[in-house]
Amino acid sequence: MSDRLYQPVRVLLTLTIALIIGGIIIELSGKDALNAYQVLFDSAFGSQVALANTLLAATPLIFTGLATVVAFRAGVFNVGVEGSLYVGGFAAAWIGFTFTSMPGWFLIPAMILAAAVVGGLWGVVPGYLKARLRIDEVVTTIMLNYVAILFTSYLVTGPFLLPGMSNAMSAEIAPQAQFTRIIPRSQWNAAFFLALLVFVGVTVLLNRSTLGYEIKALGSNPIFARWSGMHVGKIIIVVMFISGFIGGLAGAGQVMGVHYRFIANFSLGLGFSGIVVALLGRNTTVGTLLAALFFGALRNGGSTMEIFTRIPRDLIDILQALIIFFVAVELSLSWLRWRRERLDRSTEAVVET
Amino acid sequence: MASIDLFAGLLASTLRLATPLLLAGMAGLLSYQVGLINIALEGFMLVGAFIAVAVAAYFGAAWTGVLAAALAGAAFAALFALFVTDFKGDLIVTGLAMNFLILGGTAYLLQVIYNTSGTIAPEGLQKLPVLTIPVLSDLPFLGPVLFSHSPLVYLSWLMVPVTSIFLYHVVSGVHIRAVGEDMEAAATAGISVRRMQYLALMLGGILCGLAGANLSIGDLSLFRENMTNGRGFIALAAVYFAAGRPQMTAVACLLFGLFDALQFRLQTISNIPPQIFQMLPYLMVVLMLVIIAIPKEWKKGW
Repeated sequence: MSDRLYQPVRVLLTLTIALIIGGIIIELSGKDALNAYQVLFDSAFGSQVALANTLLAATPLIFTGLATVVAFRAGVFNVGVEGSLYVGGFAAAWIGFTFTSMPGWFLIPAMILAAAVVGGLWGVVPGYLKARLRIDEVVTTIMLNYVAILFTSYLVTGPFLLPGMSNAMSAEIAPQAQFTRIIPRSQWNAAFFLALLVFVGVTVLLNRSTLGYEIKALGSNPIFARWSGMHVGKIIIVVMFISGFIGGLAGAGQVMGVHYRFIANFSLGLGFSGIVVALLGRNTTVGTLLAALFFGALRNGGSTMEIFTRIPRDLIDILQALIIFFVAVELSLSWLRWRRERLDRSTEAVVET
Repeated sequence: MASIDLFAGLLASTLRLATPLLLAGMAGLLSYQVGLINIALEGFMLVGAFIAVAVAAYFGAAWTGVLAAALAGAAFAALFALFVTDFKGDLIVTGLAMNFLILGGTAYLLQVIYNTSGTIAPEGLQKLPVLTIPVLSDLPFLGPVLFSHSPLVYLSWLMVPVTSIFLYHVVSGVHIRAVGEDMEAAATAGISVRRMQYLALMLGGILCGLAGANLSIGDLSLFRENMTNGRGFIALAAVYFAAGRPQMTAVACLLFGLFDALQFRLQTISNIPPQIFQMLPYLMVVLMLVIIAIPKEWKKGW
């Protein structure tokens, strides 16, 4: 109980230390750190447009963060949300630029659903390999990320290249399938609310459903999970489907709300940032939502900071890495390591008997 | 004759492309044997590639760059070891953080130092000279395949038996394996677990630094953001594939090198977009992990 109380304090401490080290890095680069953070803060929260852009930048991170949480809760280390995001994003775009004569009320749900299912199936592949053949999911999901990125890039360079374009991108999706922007001068769009819907869904799933109970049981004690008669392999596969499903939604959100088409390599690590968000959010859905908003602010503010202070926005990536370091070494996260060891040992133990 | 030359060219580029994999593979093997799965090989290679270019260009001497790359790899590996052994950080999470830090850090430095993003080829940067071995390189077929490479290519071959001998016949190496097999038993026997973990990771860091240097100034003479492109993970997969055996790890690395060489060849002879061929090595990694897992794991059921 007291641990729960300390959590927010620890998170704030982590963030403060990361920001201080970031400040030192800025000073070492010969720039004014206080000014840089001032610019960053202003451009993340300073106006209505700034705030909308922060929510816009947070949207894909909410999806990818939640996708990661679902997997982590079960003790499955899915690093493949990035891949699901790409294949899902392409599926949505394909429907959007192929069936252009369909009405919006049909296109929009069809695109969202296609993205989610394709993203989910993409997650099932490493899920099955882990569940059935005990192949480490970290390596396979990373490899499949490259496959997804290259394959979708191939699709929009070859068969679906927009005629007359040299950059690898598809045709624009039908206008009736594009999420409208909510306020002028910002790309903030309805995908944000889809993300909130997923947040509610995942929270209910993890905390109020039988499957959520099984996921938690598997994550916290795989031996018990097996002995109590759960089909552990099946749960791993279902978990990977859900994780990929949400990853696919992240892709749909970017395609339908931001780019209005599929552009090769458009994500640039949104899936990976989801891992950071989930870790910072302590593997809870509420924490993840807050962490996604925080990183949305950093990313949004970071790109404006780059323009005004000429400090590379890669600083944000460094901050992300520092935050993961601190989170990783905290005792409160040692359950994750403990859990993985238990899982490895338990699969062996069960196999041996 | 022409097809023989083509074949020789393919084999030569296989060896060239397998070099960073072999070096990083041996690094992955060392950490595997000490009981730590090293996700950060990718990052250690990338920092090696960057430092090699930066230092080699600054001093105008390629070998200085190689040395600096090895040191940089070792330094970051020490940092990783600190987080993993002393601070008890989660292995996978810390490894990923390491990769993010180096990916972001090199991109940041690219802009701060060189004022560019993407690719740098600083003035005065020289790549390592090709070391053509006298007499042997004149052999038909074998000469161009085996004996006309950048020096780090030969080093990568050397490192396979060296790593193997180290792990099985040198006291420290045997201690490393003892720690990996049973940490508590090793500690009871008086082996310093912590020291062995540091040793294995830092030796691995040196090898990864060299692997990175080979990418940036052995093979090419430039540094590109994220130029390792998953090679660290492929090397790790090779270790998994070989279940920690040095010779099999090397075979897997050579095989992945061959897939990479093949995809480059296919790119040049067809007008299909290259991405479809670039996927090949990554797909093959997954496929090969499946192939070795099936006989071991299938009959065990769910």
